[in-house]
Amino acid sequence: MPHFDPLPYAIPVFVLLVAAEMAWARRARQPDAYEVRDTAVSLAIGLGSTVIGAAGAGAVAAALVWVHSFALLAIGWQWWAWVACFVLDDLAYYWFHRSAHRVRWFWASHVNHHSSQHYNLSTALRQSWTGLVALAFVFRLPLALIGFEPAMILTCGALNLIYQFWIHTEAIGRLPASIEAVMNTPAHHRVHHAVNPRYLDRNYAGTFIVWDRMFGTFQPEVPEEKIRYGIVHQLGTFNIVRAVFHEWLAMAADFAAAPWRHKFAYLWKEPGWSHDGARETSDAIRARWEAKRRANSGEAISP
Amino acid sequence: MPGLLLQFAGSLAAVALLVFGAYRLGFVREARLAGEEEARDIAGLAPRGFEPVALALDRDGRGALLRDAAGRIVLLAPHGAHFVVRELDPPARAQAHGGMLSLMCERHTTSLVSLDLGDSAPDWAARISALG
Repeated sequence: MPHFDPLPYAIPVFVLLVAAEMAWARRARQPDAYEVRDTAVSLAIGLGSTVIGAAGAGAVAAALVWVHSFALLAIGWQWWAWVACFVLDDLAYYWFHRSAHRVRWFWASHVNHHSSQHYNLSTALRQSWTGLVALAFVFRLPLALIGFEPAMILTCGALNLIYQFWIHTEAIGRLPASIEAVMNTPAHHRVHHAVNPRYLDRNYAGTFIVWDRMFGTFQPEVPEEKIRYGIVHQLGTFNIVRAVFHEWLAMAADFAAAPWRHKFAYLWKEPGWSHDGARETSDAIRARWEAKRRANSGEAISP
Repeated sequence: MPGLLLQFAGSLAAVALLVFGAYRLGFVREARLAGEEEARDIAGLAPRGFEPVALALDRDGRGALLRDAAGRIVLLAPHGAHFVVRELDPPARAQAHGGMLSLMCERHTTSLVSLDLGDSAPDWAARISALG
């Protein structure tokens, strides 16, 4: 299925912008903005993801074409279809991304994007190697069922991914309120990559932050709170294979060790869930933090 | 196919160039804790939370050990320019030599962590050994 893939054209721009951000970090005396081994891991994972993505692109396209054969509408290639497809693809992305944080099966694939304790443009390139195995593409299938052309869906998905590159930076503060209200921005996405309890599992947006505002997952950046990036149990290694597969291995170990009636819950429940309650989900972490904050400020804790 | 190979080769060269650039620009800094407050902040993000009642900071800020009221001990171990928090459990082994504490916790990291804790090193070594 021939379609326009803008990603290869964007890669040289990505490289130039990473170099420019490094130069900014040097000039602005931000020595922790980059770390050479972390950057190597991010870029190597990014390179690997382009190879694996290219290898799996045929399967995703075939799935879209097959679903499109049952399309409810014949939408075609009108200009407005591109606009509608981009917006609805972004909505689909929101739900994919929310699931990627709330369902351990999808989290196992997505976690490597969050595994860096740095937040810079190279972090944006830590893309999944196992998205096809995790069946992440199923979130885009409804667009084909509606009647959007599969090639259009793939192009809009690639444009969405390209948009998300530039928001992975600390070099840009807050943008004008009108932009922050509608678009996903560096400030909104810094929140998403943070492990501060206040910020956990917030701001899932791809391009438009309005989905988070609409579905109750929006959290603005609080300027006075220092952001710490990464994952709750920090990875602590620069081993690329571990960065990519560690959660799959941990999930498999939990599945093997759990009693039969709980095994599959380790696949579909949220990260941090355990059948014996020994671990904490992001909701539990936030509740513990909120209770402590209220106790410190003398507020009453609502039942 | 030759186009894809060329694209891959170009991307690989760009990766190598950027990593070399990061090295030459000096992004090779080892992590240092600014003080006890930063150690407490980082430890507070430990899984299941952590409220320290005792803290020992490496003299150069290259790590810290913290203990809570329940006797749990967490290690702040350097990882690149940042720190990771690891709760120590029975397989952890610690030895004090003078003011240095050497710590091996195979479950979380295969590398040996050495902290300069001064006079408090033997006490922390004993507490870590007592975890088992």
